[in-house]
Amino acid sequence: MGSDSQLVARAQGGDQQAFGELVRRHSDPVFRLAVSILGREFIPEAEDVAQEVFLKVHRAIESFRGEAEFSSWLYRIAFNQAVNLKARVRFRNPHADDTVLYRAMTPGPGPERQAETAQRDQALAECIRTLPEVYQSALRLYYWLDTGVGEMAVLLGVPENTAKSYLHRARQLLHGMLKERGYSCE
Amino acid sequence: MEPREAGIDSLLRRSMAEPVPSLPPDFDQRLMREVGRSSQRLDRYRRLLLTGYGLTSVVASALVMRGQGLDWGAIAVMIIGPLALVEAARRARRATCATMEHGAR
Repeated sequence: MGSDSQLVARAQGGDQQAFGELVRRHSDPVFRLAVSILGREFIPEAEDVAQEVFLKVHRAIESFRGEAEFSSWLYRIAFNQAVNLKARVRFRNPHADDTVLYRAMTPGPGPERQAETAQRDQALAECIRTLPEVYQSALRLYYWLDTGVGEMAVLLGVPENTAKSYLHRARQLLHGMLKERGYSCE
Repeated sequence: MEPREAGIDSLLRRSMAEPVPSLPPDFDQRLMREVGRSSQRLDRYRRLLLTGYGLTSVVASALVMRGQGLDWGAIAVMIIGPLALVEAARRARRATCATMEHGAR
């Protein structure tokens, strides 16, 4: 089917099939990036972001000059779109997700220990939400969405070492925050 | 990784071990349908805008020329003449291309 740049050139000439192939190639990474920014409470919104991003790209594809990789351009648009949406939905009630069900189905220790773990997880989630956007996104991509450092770097549009340093810095910050709240990380 | 970082690392792994969400299987098809609809809307809008602009400019030019004292016949020639020239040039180019293609065959 050709490289991204060949598909982009064809899509610029009005070839819908070429654009469809670009969507097929990049819809999952765009969705994962949006989810990593919005968090698990806003998965339906992340799907909307993915759709809106591709509609935007389709409208603007003629203006894409190929100075950067198509994927970098696309992920930058997705990142900005998700961050803008996050600012709007921040005060809205999050959707109930299937995490509660997942946790209930997972066999674990006794109720006391479970409550303790839940409390610590809650504190951890709150701490994560106070981190800068790129750190939050890096943590969710790496620990939740099973994204390797290399792919994470591509999605965030930074060199691999920078992606590693985001994770390192985020872990350091979280360690300090949890300690302040009286939780041990051991 | 430092020991304190290893601690937070395993905590993050445990706490974030949840099902990974994915897009619905028909996402790409739904999106392409929406792309088709939106580009049709855009084409219609562009055509409407261009027609509106064309009509407005013709009427404005006619009124200005009439204001300068030209009669309607001259105004019609001034407006229709260039349009006819453009159309004639387009047809001539198409005919030349067809002749060249025929010659190449």
